[in-house]
Amino acid sequence: MGHPLAVLDVLDRDGQPRQSIAVAAWPLHVGRALDNDAVLADPHVAPHHLSIAPGEAGLALTVGETRNGVLLGRQRLHSGDSAALADDGEPIELTVGRTPLRLRLPGHTVAAELALAPVGSLARRAAPLAIAALLLIGGALFGTYLDTDPEGFTRAAGNALLGGIVGAAVWCTVWALLSKTFTRQAHFGWHLRVFLLASIALLAVTTLPALLAFTLSWPWLTDFDFVGSIAVIAAALYFHLLAVEPARHRLLKWVAATCAIVGVLLTLWFNVQRSDQFGDELYMSHLFPPALRLARPVSTDAFIDGLATLQATLDKKAREPARGEDAPRGDDE
Amino acid sequence: MTSFPLRSAAPPLLALVLGLGIPFAALAQAGPAASAAAAAPDGPASAPISLSARKVYEQARSQLLQIRTVLKGRASQTSVGSGFLVSREGHIVTNFHVVAEAALKPERHDLVYVTADGREAPLQILQLDVLHDLALLKAADPAKPTDGVDDGSGKRVFDALAFRPDAQPLAQGERIYSLGNPLDVGFAVTEGTYNGLVTRSFYPQIFFGGALSAGMSGGPALDEQGRVVGINVARRVDGEQVSFLVPASFAVALLARGRDAAPIRTAAYGIVTDQLMLHQATLTERFIKQGWKTDTHPRYTVPVPIDQFMRCWGSSEPSRTGGLDLERSDCVMDTRIFVGDYTTGAIGVRHESYDGTKLGTLRFAARYAASFRNENFTRLRSEHQTKPQCHEDYVDRNGLPLRAVVCLRAYKKLPGLYDLSVLVATLDQKQAGVQGRFDAQGLSFPNAQKLAKHYLEAYGWVIH
Repeated sequence: MGHPLAVLDVLDRDGQPRQSIAVAAWPLHVGRALDNDAVLADPHVAPHHLSIAPGEAGLALTVGETRNGVLLGRQRLHSGDSAALADDGEPIELTVGRTPLRLRLPGHTVAAELALAPVGSLARRAAPLAIAALLLIGGALFGTYLDTDPEGFTRAAGNALLGGIVGAAVWCTVWALLSKTFTRQAHFGWHLRVFLLASIALLAVTTLPALLAFTLSWPWLTDFDFVGSIAVIAAALYFHLLAVEPARHRLLKWVAATCAIVGVLLTLWFNVQRSDQFGDELYMSHLFPPALRLARPVSTDAFIDGLATLQATLDKKAREPARGEDAPRGDDE
Repeated sequence: MTSFPLRSAAPPLLALVLGLGIPFAALAQAGPAASAAAAAPDGPASAPISLSARKVYEQARSQLLQIRTVLKGRASQTSVGSGFLVSREGHIVTNFHVVAEAALKPERHDLVYVTADGREAPLQILQLDVLHDLALLKAADPAKPTDGVDDGSGKRVFDALAFRPDAQPLAQGERIYSLGNPLDVGFAVTEGTYNGLVTRSFYPQIFFGGALSAGMSGGPALDEQGRVVGINVARRVDGEQVSFLVPASFAVALLARGRDAAPIRTAAYGIVTDQLMLHQATLTERFIKQGWKTDTHPRYTVPVPIDQFMRCWGSSEPSRTGGLDLERSDCVMDTRIFVGDYTTGAIGVRHESYDGTKLGTLRFAARYAASFRNENFTRLRSEHQTKPQCHEDYVDRNGLPLRAVVCLRAYKKLPGLYDLSVLVATLDQKQAGVQGRFDAQGLSFPNAQKLAKHYLEAYGWVIH
């Protein structure tokens, strides 16, 4: 027996091949019925779902009697349609029912062999991860240092370190379990990397605006710094999910973007409900050592004159009916 | 700044009106039964009533009234206080806070009075004195012969209490008698002493050394000749027999002003606003005029008001864990103007002085910022007041850089009045600083600007 004319790989939803069928002769019939060349068990596949045979210009696909049709690349074919199969040297991807198929022809490129162990030495691969981890631990410890009195620092640092490490481990393990469930691989290293980089980014997008707001007297910067945090969280979500559903990266991009937009809109809405304005903070409350201030102070008169603009806003809001009942934290009621 | 409980910073003053939904916190939680039990130990019931008390009560009995606020269309009372007749035509004086619900929400409340012998008749409000917490009322239907005595010409004539003339001031320690209907239990007379005027009160108030209870609000305090010297208004719940009376002269003035006034039938927010406008003008003027104390900080001039009508409390708190050391000063006014669901018209000034040499520069900055953040600028529910609107910047005080935040809130039912809050942090030292806060309620916009400027300009270096 010579070489097969083609090979039809039946794939799992994560892209791993489940079954490989050698095509010994054209036409190739695919369906659930037993007289097909490739018999599929998927209940969303018709008894005679499709057939592939050589036509005038190379191979052509003809769709049989099916409700669900065939997805050829990104093109949807319906019952009775036929289409030429492009021969660009790449394997042909098609989906019948819920089963992805890949048709490989002799001329097609064969994907390179995957290494069993990752490339490069462990030290080399772990180095960036270790640097990120040290950076994050340093940041967390510095935050703890700022927030505690000298006498309580050691204990607080221990708590923060332990809490952070346990938290990170739990977070990455949950994602690794999800990856394992859907892709048969845990991708723990990937999730750890996403976690570390996202945490460092989160630290940066919360600290830098505060510093700039103080230095330049730009209160709006910290008013809306939640946008940066939400963007970082959405990006982290995208990369975590990428290791769970690698085949749907396009969909995941949309999911992450939608989450970010919804998050920003919800925050704005809550802010308006809480304080009648879009920003997070009523006033800029981030104070740093005086030497970091660059903005020039104004005179008392100029400052007091600046109050005048508030009157029109206040008078307008005073005429609006009360919105919702909110418990005041005031001293008089 | 960190919030802290100051002794007497906000005096637990109890207005003496009795009711379930009365906004004064202490009263609202004390149901009638509970308050009756609580009042018993310090009440005058056990003290022997002198012959004079009996005489005074017998004389005043027919002029004494209970003032009830009742829900329109329902028989239930929402609050009760006391009152007394001051003219032969049937004018009645009581506290504003006794009739506040009827004055501010007339669509839902009616006022009635009940005499010592149980007769009941409707009332109208003629005039208010919100600043001194007084109201002038009159029987709603004078033609109805439920009360008073026909003088022969078909006109009713009431028995009225006389006022003690200002020309005859009381001496400290003189016996006076407070009358009213405490806790809706029944008409009562309690004996006490005149202790002069309350010190550092914005408006004059008599310090009555006797027991007053809820429900006695608006009742008269009489001298031994049965003349009105004051009107029961409040007591301190953190003290024993520390009670307050509105001096009679304000009731005399109110009667003169409102004797022939037309009854107020719509919500009285306009009158309240007008009177608060007068109050804030006086308050601003007197506050600015009294000036600031000197030597409030070794490095800065930090604004601490001279306490003519305010009380300043201070405390020092060294850190126990090698952290931030701080000293505080908190100045508050005892006088607040009651406006139905809330009070207004007061000024508060406080500051905290921080020393972070034990912390180091970065830690101090973090702690200093946390303290600057820990401030609340929302005071009343959104039905009464807008959310705060703030203006902020670095302000230069002759070389001393400050971070200044001014937040304003507008009153929804008192147009043209605003609450002002100014928050300041000094920004010249790496490991030390002062944060101050100024609060004033119920100001016109120009006066809010004026007071904010007055407060900010008090900051600077100490010039040696």
